Order: sequence, then C-alpha cells, then structure tokens
Amino acid sequence: MGAHHTLSKMCQVLKLYCLWINVGIFLIVSQISAGFQQVKLGERGGRRRDFNDAGIYTRQAMVHVKDSKSGTSGKPISLSSNFFRLLSCPQWVLYQYHIKFEPPMESRRLRSALIYQHEQTLGKAKIFDGGMLFLPIRLAQKETILHSETRNKEAVKITVTLTNELPPSSPVCIQFYNLILRKILKLLHLQQIGRNYYNPHDPLNIPQHKLKIWPGYVTTILHYESSIMMCIDISHKVLRSNTVLDFMTNLRAQYGDHRFADMCTKELVGCIVLTKYNNKTYRVDDIAWDHTPNNTFVKGDTTISFKKYFKDYHDSDIYDDNQVLLVSHVKKMGPAGGPPPGPAMLVPELCHLTGLTDKMRADYNIMRDMLKHTKLEPDARERRLTRFVNSIREKPDAQAELDQWGLCFDKQLAKLSGRVLAVERIYQGSKSFDYDLWKADWSREMRGNPVISSPEIKKWFLFHTRQNGNDAHSLLESLQRVSSPLGIHLHKPVLVSYDDFPESLLKALKQNVGPDTQMVAVILPSNRKDRYECVKKYLCVDFPVPSQCVVSRTLKPKSLMTVATKLALQMACKVGGELWSVEIPLKQLMVVGIDCYHDTSAGKRSIGALVASLNQTMTRWFSKCVLQHKGQEIMDGLKMALAGALKDYHKFNNCLPSRIIVYRDGVGDGQLHSVVNFEVAQILESIKTFGEGYEPKLSVVVVTKRISCRFFAHINGSVSNPPPGTVVDTEVTRPEWYDFYIVSQAVHNGSVSPTHYNVVYDTSGLKPDHMQRLTYKLCHMYFNWQGIIRVPAPCMYAHKLAFLVGQSIHKEPNTKLDDYLFYL
Amino acid sequence: MNVSTVVSLLISAILCPFALLFLKVTFVTTMASMFNPSLHKQRHQFVVDFIQRNKPKKVVDLGCGECSLLSRLKFRREIELLVGVDIDERKLRRKTLGLAPLSTDFLQPTFEQLRVELYHGSVLEKDARVRGFDLVTSIEVIEHLHLADVKCFSAVVFGYMAPKAVIISTPNSEFNPLLPGLSGFRHSDHKFEWTRAEFTSWALEACCHYGYEVEFTGVGRAPQGQQVGFCSQIAVFHRVRRENICNVPPGYDPEDEFSYTQLYSVNYPSLRDNNTLRRVLVSEVLYWTETLKNKWMEERSGDPGAEFSSWLAARGKQLHENQTTWQEYLEHPSDQCSTRALWDGEGYDHLPSAEHQQPFTLHSSLWVPLGFLCSCIPKVSSLSGSVEHLKLLLMDAPEVRLSVDGSAVIVNCLQQNDQNEKEVNDIEDTGSADACQFNSTAERVEDWEDEVYDEGSPCVKTSSGRV
Repeated sequence: MGAHHTLSKMCQVLKLYCLWINVGIFLIVSQISAGFQQVKLGERGGRRRDFNDAGIYTRQAMVHVKDSKSGTSGKPISLSSNFFRLLSCPQWVLYQYHIKFEPPMESRRLRSALIYQHEQTLGKAKIFDGGMLFLPIRLAQKETILHSETRNKEAVKITVTLTNELPPSSPVCIQFYNLILRKILKLLHLQQIGRNYYNPHDPLNIPQHKLKIWPGYVTTILHYESSIMMCIDISHKVLRSNTVLDFMTNLRAQYGDHRFADMCTKELVGCIVLTKYNNKTYRVDDIAWDHTPNNTFVKGDTTISFKKYFKDYHDSDIYDDNQVLLVSHVKKMGPAGGPPPGPAMLVPELCHLTGLTDKMRADYNIMRDMLKHTKLEPDARERRLTRFVNSIREKPDAQAELDQWGLCFDKQLAKLSGRVLAVERIYQGSKSFDYDLWKADWSREMRGNPVISSPEIKKWFLFHTRQNGNDAHSLLESLQRVSSPLGIHLHKPVLVSYDDFPESLLKALKQNVGPDTQMVAVILPSNRKDRYECVKKYLCVDFPVPSQCVVSRTLKPKSLMTVATKLALQMACKVGGELWSVEIPLKQLMVVGIDCYHDTSAGKRSIGALVASLNQTMTRWFSKCVLQHKGQEIMDGLKMALAGALKDYHKFNNCLPSRIIVYRDGVGDGQLHSVVNFEVAQILESIKTFGEGYEPKLSVVVVTKRISCRFFAHINGSVSNPPPGTVVDTEVTRPEWYDFYIVSQAVHNGSVSPTHYNVVYDTSGLKPDHMQRLTYKLCHMYFNWQGIIRVPAPCMYAHKLAFLVGQSIHKEPNTKLDDYLFYL
Repeated sequence: MNVSTVVSLLISAILCPFALLFLKVTFVTTMASMFNPSLHKQRHQFVVDFIQRNKPKKVVDLGCGECSLLSRLKFRREIELLVGVDIDERKLRRKTLGLAPLSTDFLQPTFEQLRVELYHGSVLEKDARVRGFDLVTSIEVIEHLHLADVKCFSAVVFGYMAPKAVIISTPNSEFNPLLPGLSGFRHSDHKFEWTRAEFTSWALEACCHYGYEVEFTGVGRAPQGQQVGFCSQIAVFHRVRRENICNVPPGYDPEDEFSYTQLYSVNYPSLRDNNTLRRVLVSEVLYWTETLKNKWMEERSGDPGAEFSSWLAARGKQLHENQTTWQEYLEHPSDQCSTRALWDGEGYDHLPSAEHQQPFTLHSSLWVPLGFLCSCIPKVSSLSGSVEHLKLLLMDAPEVRLSVDGSAVIVNCLQQNDQNEKEVNDIEDTGSADACQFNSTAERVEDWEDEVYDEGSPCVKTSSGRV
C-alpha cells in the first residue's frame, strides 16, 4: 500500500521535474551554441592561460612589412634550429562535427559515452568535448544519424553534422596537436611538472646539496612562418630529495625558535612544491601557523582531519603532529564556473621542494656543480633533441597515437638560413677600432685609448674600514695608474675610515659627503647586504650623489689592475662620462628601454624602470624608476616617466625627437596582448601631451630573453654556436608578427640563447634590415661591459635600475640623479 | 514528506558506476544523499579495509573499468603486484596514465615495491599471468555476464586463478523496490540481478566445488525496519583446500594460457632495485662525507692550529658515549657550542686509523671509514644494512672514491682551493693590447632616413649610400 502511494506521487513529481528539465535544456543549448564562436580544446575542458600569445595579429597593421619582414645585410650562414616539422599529407584537414542529441543529454560524461559507442561508424581516433566532435575522416554524409538507447529503453537520436573543415594551421588544430603531444610525452613515461615534462628514470645527482636534476623537455607546437613545427628544448628540473618538513627542521636548528618563523616565510613563500599524493605542483603562498595535521576540513559532508584523510586515502602516515601547514592559493576556477575552491592546505611532510631558492642561486658551489651537469654544448644538445624525436618513432603506442590522426614528426631539426651582421666599429673620440667577431669583446682593444669624455672628478671620497686601509691605498694607486690613459681625470680623494657597522658607515657618510661631492667610493669588507643597502639608500634617495661600492675580497693584488680599470670606467659613467659609441644612422632618435622587477619582499610590488637616450651617440641616458601601487598597471607610472624623458631630451637637444623606439623587456608569456592593447595606447597618450602638432614616429619592440628557441651553426662539418650578430627572420618566426631573432652575445661554454624581438607597433617606416641592425648596434652600448650583450643597452640599464631599487632601495631614487647612470 | 519524496525521486537507480545512460546528471549528484559516502566508494572502502586486515601482496581486479579502485589501491603499501583486467580496451587505455608513479615516488623511493599491470581480456578466459594471487576482486561485474557464463566465471576465478581470497559484489535485487523510479535492472547492461538467496546459492556451490568458504556481507544499509539486506551484496571467499592449487608465481609453462593482451605495465621505483638503492646510497654517502669535509675546512680556516684528527677522535668518542649520532650533530649545528668545549678538552690519545672507524686526514684528503658511516649515520645503515653490503654497493659507483682496500671513502679537500685559483686566473688579463686601430675618417656613412618607408608611396626608396 505504502509503496503504491509513493509510486503515484512519484509520477506527479516526475512530470513537474520534466518541465523544469526543458527549461534547463534551453539554457544549455544556448550555452553550447555560444561556445562555437571561440573554440577551445582543453585536456579536461578547463580554461587555461594562453602561454603562446596566439591570436595577436600585429603584423597586418604595419604596411611596410606586409610582404616581407626580412633583412638583407650580413653574410648568409646555414643554421639548424630546435624545431621539428609536423608532417601530414597535403590535403590533411581536421573535420569538425556538431553533435545533437534528441532528447538532449546534459551530462558531458553521458554524451561522451553515447558517442564512444559508435566506434564502427566514427572510427577510433576522435576528440569529443561534449558539443563538438573532431575526426580525421570525412563521414559519408554531411549529416549522419546514429541511434542509441538509454537504460530506460528510450531511443536517443544522435545527429552528427559536419560544420567545418579545419586546415592544419587553424587555431583549433594547434590546440589539438598540443593535446596529442602531451599524451605522447606521458606515454614516454615522462613526468609532468608544471608545464614541462621530465624524465625521472635517470636523474643527475648533486649529493653534496641533496639535489636531483631531472632532464626534460619544453615543447610547443605552433604555426611558425611557413609550417607547423614543434619547438623543443632541453630543460632541467631541480628537485630535492628531502621534504619541506626536513627543510623546516633544518631551518629551526639553524636559526633558533625566535627567527624560525621569519626565515621560514622568507625561504618557503614563493617556492613550488610537489606533493606525494598527486602529481600537482603548488606554489607556497603562505604558512598557516595555527594549523597542524590534526585540523579538519570538510570532505563531502563529513569533516575529517588531514592526518586521517591521508592515512585513509593514500596510506601515508604523518609522523609529526606539530608541523604547521602550508597554504597555496589555487587560482583555478571552481567546477562549471562556480566559485573558486578555497586555498589548498599542504602538509610539509608530504611535500617536496622544487627549483632553487635565491640563497642557493647565490651559492657559487651549488651553481658550479649544477652547471657542470646542465650546460650542454651545441652538438650535445642537437644530438639529444634528435634522439628524443626518434624515441617517439620507436615507441609503438606513441607513434600509433600520431598515426591514427595521419601525423608524424620530421626526423631532423629544421634547417634554415640566417645572416651574420658585420662587426660594428667602436668609436672612442677620434679613434675607432673593430673587435674580434667570435669574442664580441673589446676590453683589450680599449686599452690605452681615452674614452669619449669624462668629467673631471675633483671632489670625491673613498670610505674604508680600518682593516681595509691597505686595500684602499693600493686601490687608489692602481686607479691613478689606469685612469689617466683612459682619459678619466681622477683627483686624489678624501680617505675616510669607518667601523664595520651600518650605523657607523651611515654616520661617516652623513658627516663627510657634502653638496659639492661628485662621487663616493666605499670598500665593503664583506658581501653583506645591509652595508650596501645603507650606502645606496642614503646616496640614491636622501642625499643624491653617485656612489661606487667594491667588496674588499675582489681587491686581490693579482687582478687589481683589471678591477681598477673596471672601477674607473664605472665611476666615469656614473658622473656622466661617455665611454664609446657606434655609428647610429638615424637623426633625432630617442631609444627607450623598459623593464620590470618583481619585488617579493615589499609585498610583491612591481617596479618599472624606463631609460631613454638623450643624444645622437646613445651615450647619455635619462633614467626613471617607478614603484607600482596596488592594482595599478606598471605603465601608468611609466607614462609620466616617458614624458619626463621627452622633456629632458628637449633640454639636451633643443628639440623633441622625431622618432621614438621603445624596447619593452619583462613581458611574460601570455602578457603580449596587454602590451599591444594597452601599453602602446598609453605611450601614444603620453606623447600627445606635448601638443597636437607633435607626432613622432613610434616603434614598440617587445624583447624576450627567456625563450626555448636555439640555433646551431654548421661550420666546417661541426656543430657550434652561431657567431654574435646572427639574425634569423624566417622559418621559426611567426607569420602574424613582425619579429626576428638576434644572437648578439658570445658564450664560452654551453649553447647560446638568442633574443627574440617582436615589433608590435611601428609607424617609423624603417626597413626590417635597419630595425634589426639598430637593435644589434644598441647591444654594443652597455657601458658596464666592454662587449656585446644579450639585449639592447637601454633594456639592460632599465633592468639594472629596477633591480637596484627592488633589491636595495625600495624607494624611488632622487630626481637629481635622473641624467646619470648612477645604478651601474 | 514532500521534500523527502522529491529527493528520493531524483535519486534514480544510479547505484552503480557503470550506469552511464541517464536522462539527467542531477541524479548523480543527489545520489550522494541516499548513501554517504556514495555506494561505489563504500564498496571500494570495503576492499581497502579488507586489504588492510589481510595484507595481500598480489591483487587482481577483474572488470576494473575505469581503474578507480586500482588508483586507490596503488597507495596501499602492502601490495606488490596490482593487476587490472577489463574487456573494454578503450576505457582501459584512457585511464592507464593515471596509474603511473608520481614524481615524488622517484624522489624518495622506499623499500616497498609495486608493479602495476593492465590487461585487456575477458574474465571468462584463462590467463596464467593472473594465477596464484592473494586476492581477486570483482566488483559489480558478474551481473554483466550472461547467466550461462557465470559457471565459466566460477571455473576461471576459483578453479584456474585459485587465489587465496576473492571478493565479489553484485546488486541485491531485493533492495530494488526501495530505489525510487527503478523498473527493471539497475543498469541496461545487467543480464540479471540476484536476490540474497540466489547469490548465496551460487556462492555456496562455488565453495563446494572449488574448496572455498564464504562470508556474506554488503554495503548500503536499508532504511530501518526494512528486511531486504544491503544494497550491494558482497561475498568474501577464502580458500580452504590447498592440494590441487599451485600457489607459485606463473612461470612460462608451455601449457600456460595467455589470452589477455597487456596494455600497460610499470614498476614503481623501489630500494629493492639495486640500481635505485645504489643511487640513493651514493647520494647519502656523498652528502655526509661532503658535510664532514666542509666542517673540517671550516675548523681549519677558523683555527689554523687545531688538529682536525684529534678533535675528530675526541668528538667521535664523546658522541658515542652520549649515544648521539653524527647525523644529529651535523644537522644541528646550534649544539656546536656545547660540544666544542668537549673536544677542546681531553681525548687526544686516539691515533686515528681505519680500524678505529674514525674519519682522519691523509695527504690533504679526508678518509671516512665505511664502518663510521654505517654506525654513525642512521640513514646509511638502514639503506645498506651492513658494512660489507655498503662496500659492495659503493664499489660499483664511479662517483665515490674508495680506498684501495675499500674500507674508507676518500674526499679530496683541495678541490675547492684549486677552483678558486683558477677563477682568479680567469679574471687576470695577460698580454698587452695591440688591437688594430683606425682613424675615423674615410668611412662609409649610412643614412637610414633616406630609405624609410613613406606612407604616401607604396614602394620603398632605394638607398643612396653616400661615401
């Protein structure tokens, strides 16, 4: 009786429910169709950041590079690069189908299950994301009807309609290739850590520091200039065999209870950890000092303690009940666009640290041991990459994965041709000289040549501790000897000795340095940061005077002359001296460099620095640094800085520049769109403030150093690094951009890494060849290094400035120093 | 009444993980409210609990489907061989990668070892690779077989595989009336659903025939007052007769049958693998010898008069007496103040030698006897077990320099100094500058301005390079 009653009730409610379902279906269908406009494939259908900056088409707006963005000068050189072509038959397309279920099915899983039942019709190879189906084959009819049955014996009609034939280079196909590649990497038994894949089976050990290094690969498949290729580079992951808990225990032993909390936060926050129970990486954002594994969390409907959870679900015992937990703010969105899940709580005992801390990076021994393992000469690198691609072919299930889609990788690295730009002539006053191309360094050639100009340094101080008295005297003697041949007029300084305490050093500075002081040199007895900060803070902010610090350890008698030469040059720059120049065949040009520094200690504030040239020879620079405030874009502050630079340019030249070229460094993966869409507009706005009539030609170039692209030169049958000045603007560039690569620096061991330049905005009309050569010329103009560097000098200056402010000063430097390279 | 009815109505018969074809996913979500944790989790928990009690080493899951049970079982340390068999190759292939070791498994390998294998095949066919296991689980599988085949299933599982224990679960059809909205079977692919009596009679027959005894239980309790038994009924079989069973790991007997296709197999890193063990051990040994060396170097530079060997001997003795290990000492340098006083004091009469098992210096090298490592560094001793074994393992490791008789590890203490010297030499610039110099006249001067693209005209002006 009771059961019967329930049944009739049930039928009623079911009807109501069906009504509600219909409304629901309407909403879902509209969502699906909206989804067609922007097709995105994800491994689990989730949203992810676009690290490849796809979908930014800047080249089409620049008429002068529409047909060709290649330069012409220089000697051709045959190169190979770490790219492998993705081969498919000429008519290859990916067929996109729309799937319609009648009656509609809401659950993605159920829809998948229904589709996967029709393997005979649809074939084995397929990707189905719930709404769209991708197949390598064209079905016989444009519309195919399939029939399935639910458990209720209800017939489900599935209509498969061909909606699109996607060419190999379409964005969806690119996403699709990358999905397949990730699957293949997993089939090769590589472990995913972050975005890359590593081989755990044959680690390199650095036992002295309890470090393990896993060799691995960074991969991306993209549509490059003329074909679809996989860019692959060797990457190394540093892992530590001890857990975060071991690390914390050591810290406590080392620093004692009272400093433990501080040191823990300092060392651990920002680290990436791997957990023992899943394959995810987490960034440590905070430490929950009030949480232990005995705290509980809600799992489903019940609350369970961390300790019990890990015991029950992962059979992991947590031995230390008193350890505090780590907090990671997971950025991911909640399921189906819901609210994001709360922060992840991590148990230190179950976490391993990855990567190097800043402290380890600063340790010479660790770095030496590591580089010994990770530096790869060009030929070794090339061999390893080729071996990797062949291992895909040799692994049957990996190759099968590609085969079923009709794809395969080329056996060899992509071959291409580059050009080696001519050696630049270096001018020093009335003299000029060439440097050795392969050395890319002119410290030797410079000897005995006076610099272009250097103000007389009449009143200056040399501070030293009592212990370093002798060092001070010998340094002075050497300085006197080297400075006059260099044309630097260095008068005798006032020697001041101070006690080795920050307070006493500051006191000595305050007592001695006056308004007419041109330069302050300080010999520091050790590498300690507080002394250095004390000097820089006072002399960059409170009492603006150029300063030069030197650690006493570097003043060894053997190398004293070299050190003194470097010091003399550096001091000359800091007071406005000009060391050398190269020919710049453009008039009324202002070159601007912009870089950022992310300051972790000051609450993750970012620092932006802007450096702009003030004269024709690119030897005088205007420098400005802005600290970003919360929620503010870095460019807001730099807008003011650019206006300041233009005013200063006017002061120096009695006119405003007719062309401005901005080199923008410090743009992360996936941030290009913000430069293109916002920053360029802000730069233009800033220029506009100088009146309606002022319309200089503007170029904005995004500079990227951390790229996975490499070039190998084939010279006389052997593989080596390409020489400095090698430019590549074909094959491995992107068709939708006006971009090129330059190898500007020389390296002595390992593989050189080229710098990528992407001209995102250009009204200058400069030929690509000239844009490339100007960029290369600017790599010669960094006065702190008598050689060619990786990036144009203004970028390096901006980097130096931002680094000094972010590391030591934490405040905007005094405006009186704007016209000097005081931060070198 | 109303609310609860609605809720229970929404719970359709989604009680089995294989049920895929439903009208609304909402059923899935409300399922949790009828059984909490959900029924399939309870079934898995039942298996996990059983494994925790009985500690089987070799476990095979027949009809593992999407491998959700296997991916829970891979965390059970007692299991050494974990096998999954299913007839749906596609499903298996999609889930294989989830069973791979985690990155951290490579970082801190343990002595436990685990091998995971996945086979595509039918549970009605025999395969020698799954014979003689400790446990066979078959969770919600038999109801997918045709009734006629169930006999064959019994023969394969109990007769051929002949494991020590078997766990079989299947829906209890007596419970079905309590599942609202259900007519017919719980899943369209179910060929039958048994009452308790039917299940019992099948199980007892199998026991009788193949020499097992059985207990009945289940998960998913009925509401109070309902005498229908569990929602999922479970039979746990234990083998009693031993004589006709070969409980040996499958060898490659020509009579063996191999009807399954292997889709996946992986060995988890384990210290029982000699290469892994050696790698971990070498790391550990080098770490401690390096730490010792650094300590020594520090001491030497701090107090040039101090004899390392003597304080070492003294300290070693002291530490032994206090039952403290070197590891503790070295890991907690804050204790240094207290120990410093001790080794500045007495105990110089020890002449260091390998026999005394104390590190000593010879020809500016630090000699660390293996015996010292084994007795003072707990991690080393637990890894190697004995000095002899340690010696054996280290002998094959090119990274470690052993003394000729293999009794001590030698660490060169001069390395670092050499490196520093070299560094200085790199900085030092030799030779004089005689670079070719030019006067800056008679140079070809370029002017790029002449060549810029003019927006007015589409073509680029050609260069007029002045000389």
